[in-house]
Amino acid sequence: MVMDFFKGGSDKPLEEIESLIVQMLQDDRHTFDLAINALLGGTGATVVAKEVRKSDKRVNRAEREVRRRLIVHAAVAGERVDLTRVLIAMSIVKDAERIGDQCKNIWDLADAGIDFSAAEDLKWLMSMRDQTSRYVAESSRIYQERDRDAAHALIAEMDEAQDRFDECVMAQLESTKEASEAVARALLCRYLKRITSHLMNVLTSLVMPLERLDYYDEKKADRD
Amino acid sequence: MDRIDTEQPAQEQSAEDRIPTWGRVLFVIGLLFLFLVGIKALETGIKAFGSEFTDNLFASVSNPIAGLFVGTLATVLVQSSSVTTATIVGLVGAGSLPLDLAVPMIMGANIGTTVTNTLASLGFLRRTKEFRLAFAGATMHDFFNLLAVAVMLPLELATGFLTKLAERAADIMSTLGWGGFGESNSPIKSAVKAPVKLLEGILESSGASDNVVGVAMLVFGLVLIFFALAYVTRNMRLVVAGRIERSINAVLMKGGGFSAIAIGIVITIMVQSSSITTSVLVPMIAAGVVTLRSAFPITLGANIGTTVTAMLASLASDSQEGLVIGLVHFFFNTLAVAVLYSIPILRPVPPMLAERLAALAEVRKSIVIVYVVGLFIVVPIIGVLLLQ
Repeated sequence: MVMDFFKGGSDKPLEEIESLIVQMLQDDRHTFDLAINALLGGTGATVVAKEVRKSDKRVNRAEREVRRRLIVHAAVAGERVDLTRVLIAMSIVKDAERIGDQCKNIWDLADAGIDFSAAEDLKWLMSMRDQTSRYVAESSRIYQERDRDAAHALIAEMDEAQDRFDECVMAQLESTKEASEAVARALLCRYLKRITSHLMNVLTSLVMPLERLDYYDEKKADRD
Repeated sequence: MDRIDTEQPAQEQSAEDRIPTWGRVLFVIGLLFLFLVGIKALETGIKAFGSEFTDNLFASVSNPIAGLFVGTLATVLVQSSSVTTATIVGLVGAGSLPLDLAVPMIMGANIGTTVTNTLASLGFLRRTKEFRLAFAGATMHDFFNLLAVAVMLPLELATGFLTKLAERAADIMSTLGWGGFGESNSPIKSAVKAPVKLLEGILESSGASDNVVGVAMLVFGLVLIFFALAYVTRNMRLVVAGRIERSINAVLMKGGGFSAIAIGIVITIMVQSSSITTSVLVPMIAAGVVTLRSAFPITLGANIGTTVTAMLASLASDSQEGLVIGLVHFFFNTLAVAVLYSIPILRPVPPMLAERLAALAEVRKSIVIVYVVGLFIVVPIIGVLLLQ
């Protein structure tokens, strides 16, 4: 263990911590793909159960490690700590962890017996699946590469997608479908909206001041 | 959404931050040379006063327990056991401080150095739960060092085992000629002597009396020791900050034990300050990220690592006794760890005592003031006054 001190490696601890957050987002995408495919008929919920739980636990462990490392970093760096970066990391690690929770909630729907594989709007649901999966993957890449232009573009795209998720939720209020299906559909759309909200928070950390993080789960009219 | 191109404001880099690592390492090597020059100047200054003066000075603290308190007080005042022990090495090397009095002073310096992380824990005073953890984390170092003195000082006074062991080791090192330790004509000693001789020559040629030369050299030496150690610590902390983080993270992932002691030794040698190592742990303990049991061995490693400063200082000393007192510091801290940490029944004692004190302090904050002022100021002052 003492060799950890002497061996090579990055002497930029905050970058190592941020790469852990990137890894969390990649795990989130894996969990999302498994969970939504179980709901849309790609695979059975029980088949992917073990992997979904494993991936979610990995994300939870990573969140604790990020927090612990941030405290160690702040203590060692002392007055030279980059407080803004530490606070941002502390904030968005929660977003990355929550995405994992929402993915698991989607799997919970499949595990409860909900199956949209024969839904009349399966094509639309699948397009939402592909779109959201791409959002997670793209957000992870953009955050890793600090690509601010791409961050602006994706935030705008996800903001539009949120309107469609809201419309989907509202549509279930007037739905004539069975209650179980309407509720499940409303929950799914709500989860998709929450996932994109958390991704937008992650990306705003690249382009907005610290105090403006965490407002994307509010309606546009309620935001500043 | 409104496009706001406000990148997160990065921490502004000062001119000091922009110095490359190799530049810092060269600077630290230069500072270590200045540190040795400081020791040599101190020795020269003391010698300039003449033997009568130093005999009178230390006659007032001829009691070993008083020596222990002097070591504690001096370290509390300068907030650095490295400065105290390096100064003691200089005094012993000059032949003005006898070994039998220097040994308890070194032990006292060990007690005094713990005040820094105890003060660091006071930053959490308003947050009760965190304060309890932080205070326990800080005072376990106090308790360990107090127990170490309680065990080792009576044994040393009765048998002189630490001094004998250090003398034997110093003989071996001198025989082997390790890096100039104990050699009177080593290249390091010659290089260190040159600027001191130059300064002494300038002062003498100006017609200054022996006492004025002595005072000037003494002040110059102490300032140089203080300045050099402070800047070595400041620079090395920046150079190895990433590595310190990586090592502490490794301890947290893999647990404590003897590897954590080794981590504490390495970090402290690199930053030349046990206070940095132990104080960095305090906020982590307060946040609950590190448990007392995980932090404890790192603290003990810091105790061993800090002994390198006195050994370094002995490189500048003409007399082998300078090396002996440096080795006494090393053997004292190493054997204390061997006894109090290796024996399973004794290992939990310092953290347990610290937890009990912290529990009391959590309920009654006045205990904190009584403890800090009492242990580090009042008791040593009364001790010196009564025992001189």
